[in-house]
Amino acid sequence: MSRAEFMQRVRAAAAAGRAYRVHSPGELPPRVGYQGAGNDPVARLAAEITAVGGQAHLVENLDAARAKLTDLLAALAPQSALCWHHPLLDRLDLRGALKSSGTKLLDYDALAPLPWEEARVAMIAADVGITSATYAVAETGTLAVAAAAGRERLASLLPPVHIAVIEREQIVPDLFDLFDRLAADATGPTPRGLPSNLVMITGPSKTGDIELTLTTGVHGPGVWHVIVIR
Amino acid sequence: MSTTDYAQHEHHEFLAAADAALADASLQSALANLGGTLGQRNRDAFDALPESDLLRQQARAIKDATLAELDRHLETLETNLRARGGEVHFADDGAAACQIILDIIRQHGARRVVKSKSMTSEEIHLNKALERSDIEVVETDFGEFIIQVAGHRPSHLVAPAMHLRVGQVATILSGDAGEELPVDAVELAAYARRRLRVNFAAAEVGITGANFAVAETGTIVIVENEGNARLTTSLPKIHIAVMGIEKVIPRLADLPVFLKILARAATGQKMSIYTSLITGPRQQGELDGPEEVHLVLLDNGRSRILGGPLRESLFCIRCGACLNACPIYRNIGGHAYGGVYSGPIGAVLTPLYDGLAANHHLPHASSLCGACQAACPVNIAIPEMLVQLREQLHHEPGELGRMEGLAYRLWARAMRSPRLYRASTWLATRTVGRLRRKSGWLAKLPFGLHGWTASRDFPAPAAERFRDWWQSEGRE
Repeated sequence: MSRAEFMQRVRAAAAAGRAYRVHSPGELPPRVGYQGAGNDPVARLAAEITAVGGQAHLVENLDAARAKLTDLLAALAPQSALCWHHPLLDRLDLRGALKSSGTKLLDYDALAPLPWEEARVAMIAADVGITSATYAVAETGTLAVAAAAGRERLASLLPPVHIAVIEREQIVPDLFDLFDRLAADATGPTPRGLPSNLVMITGPSKTGDIELTLTTGVHGPGVWHVIVIR
Repeated sequence: MSTTDYAQHEHHEFLAAADAALADASLQSALANLGGTLGQRNRDAFDALPESDLLRQQARAIKDATLAELDRHLETLETNLRARGGEVHFADDGAAACQIILDIIRQHGARRVVKSKSMTSEEIHLNKALERSDIEVVETDFGEFIIQVAGHRPSHLVAPAMHLRVGQVATILSGDAGEELPVDAVELAAYARRRLRVNFAAAEVGITGANFAVAETGTIVIVENEGNARLTTSLPKIHIAVMGIEKVIPRLADLPVFLKILARAATGQKMSIYTSLITGPRQQGELDGPEEVHLVLLDNGRSRILGGPLRESLFCIRCGACLNACPIYRNIGGHAYGGVYSGPIGAVLTPLYDGLAANHHLPHASSLCGACQAACPVNIAIPEMLVQLREQLHHEPGELGRMEGLAYRLWARAMRSPRLYRASTWLATRTVGRLRRKSGWLAKLPFGLHGWTASRDFPAPAAERFRDWWQSEGRE
């Protein structure tokens, strides 16, 4: 069966189906269901992250964020960390923090030269993943995390612990705002579309598959730290 | 991996299956809390959402408008996904979809497949087709993994193993592990994580469904809580998504409308843990993600439904809210429905996709109480559709028994004639009505009508006609 016949059948059905369109209540106001995040989106984001089972660390500035990251690494004592390349992580001196906790840095520079099999084994063995995000949605406690060269999708997924660091400028109030930003980024002056992978993360990995009881950490990270810089 | 027992996919006698489900103490205890957990969480989540009714209308309006020009949106999706290096395939039916997927796997000489949860792949019986060709296919959603090991079918749209208690899950997974695992949900989930990492590390192909596809960007959207769909679409070199054609949405701006209602309806969450937007294969320089992305667009009867009066069933976003709300589902569970889709929406979809005659009990497996429509995030008129299916059944030969047909004809005759109506109500109140004045119920109907009272009582006529009461007392 050809594509043309398939499409022809759908076209005829869609046309016939117009006789059965459901009654439309008329024009709905724009952005129905927009909720926003109140007058302190940063605090709201932290509260929502906590509500979905994450650990939010609200800090005032870059220095405080670095201190918090160092604390977390000292407590976790990871052997290796799967890390993004990101300007915010550079400003935090992530490399320095890892060095002082004696953690091996696994990043693009370390992984790219390896054969895929070897890189995969190294990534699966990592104890912690450290990333930033593209945006965060305050109302839902969501991080929007886009993949790119140096920003591996596995960093927020494979290790049992995920630490993300974000700052105020990345926070939007509502899901609708996020999709406005994404659409603008995708169609901006140089049209480039969406990233190959963009994941919206709202909590540590969970399952309710046994007796509808929520259990954390089934496939993705069971522990989710988000350092939010005011 | 044990070969899954798909014999249970065969359609079966609904009444017998429902009886068995009602007598199954373990199933009954598993179902007991459904209304109080998932059902209550759904209601609470919508109560806390301002303008939720308008949002549902909005979602409904988007679905309605999209279906009116479905061909155009599918073409846009195809163009934009191809522009990003993805491949798009068109499958008329389940067999064609399985063949397309098998061909892709064979082209790469692949043998190991990991899957994330997809009702569409259940609909086309994909695992069976792959296993027949000696492809190892492993379900990685925790619930799906449990039932694959057990050889069961999913019993719920979003909680496929909800018919099992934790003790049963421990027994099933202990068999897989070759050692005794503790009766503890956390430990059992940890076992699945360890066990499935091995499969993820080795698999060449990852197969998923899709909750939505955004036409204007060529994006496949997958919503999940566990992270197994992310692993399935990040580690293997090839990603194949199979999706019904009705899941396309035109614009990126339409997506937040559905994301705001989907997780609330499914599990009472504001957002599910992971919502992946996948736009083609990995790009230059990226270390992970698939090198190939294939989208298989499935018709399998959808275009037939699209052109007819039950078109609205294509609005369904597979959240499972109607199951949790339904007093029938909450009593008999998912398996009794016989099809891949269960509950109220399954009672509509299964007859539509697999034939009305073979599933003639399903449109009657409802009290038409309307709880399903009230819970539905796109406000699908499920009770109305069930009535329409009953109406269609009425025209199928052999559906009505001879006595039942006769009873309907007598009833119709009496209702058309005031004299006959008066005489028959007089007779009914003087005889059965007075005899059953105390209980008000008949335990058994006579002659060919006894089927009606086999599993429930029939209300007895009143002992006094309204017209008599009105003449003696009502006027005062």
